[in-house]
Amino acid sequence: MSRLLYVHTGGVNNPERSATPIYLATTAAAMDCEVGIYFTVNGPTLLRKGVPETLIVPKYDGKGAPLRHFIDQALDLGVKFYVCQPSLDLHGLTKDDLIDEVEMIGGAAFNDMALEADQVISF
Amino acid sequence: MTEAPTANVTLDAKGLLCPMPIVKLAKAVKEMDSQQVILLEATDPGAVPDVAAWSKNTHNPVIHQDKIGKVMRFWIQKA
Repeated sequence: MSRLLYVHTGGVNNPERSATPIYLATTAAAMDCEVGIYFTVNGPTLLRKGVPETLIVPKYDGKGAPLRHFIDQALDLGVKFYVCQPSLDLHGLTKDDLIDEVEMIGGAAFNDMALEADQVISF
Repeated sequence: MTEAPTANVTLDAKGLLCPMPIVKLAKAVKEMDSQQVILLEATDPGAVPDVAAWSKNTHNPVIHQDKIGKVMRFWIQKA
């Protein structure tokens, strides 16, 4: 099985950048790839409890869907969500502030995942 | 052109945009038995290359396809 690792650095201040890595990861999972998304820099702000339900992914006609819709699709197909502590510290967040489906890893674990992946795709 | 095969399952993905036709296709195929055929109907402009890429990676072959107006139809057999 092919492995893809997405790196998501976008946060709540750039809603237009929030969903694309997530739905590409969803598509990869639908293609039978093993897929993870590493949320770093501003990425963890998207996973703060309450944010996915209220952050609207914009669309030209004003009829965007909440980020939760894209997150649920990804989780449903088995995409794994990862964060690391320094990027939580950057925003004063703790693991408990985030949605439950997120796994904590460290820099070494991230680098190991990158070395084991067939491709790493960064946003 | 050969005749369209008989499908066990039909998936109406008309009006859905990338990546939903592929996501729904993947989920539907998971529920099927080996050798069963699914008919996918889609209008997403990227459906032809997307279904081909999905098929190549999941090894579930597209055994027939056609286009009626804006509706692209794919018959896919589960490996």
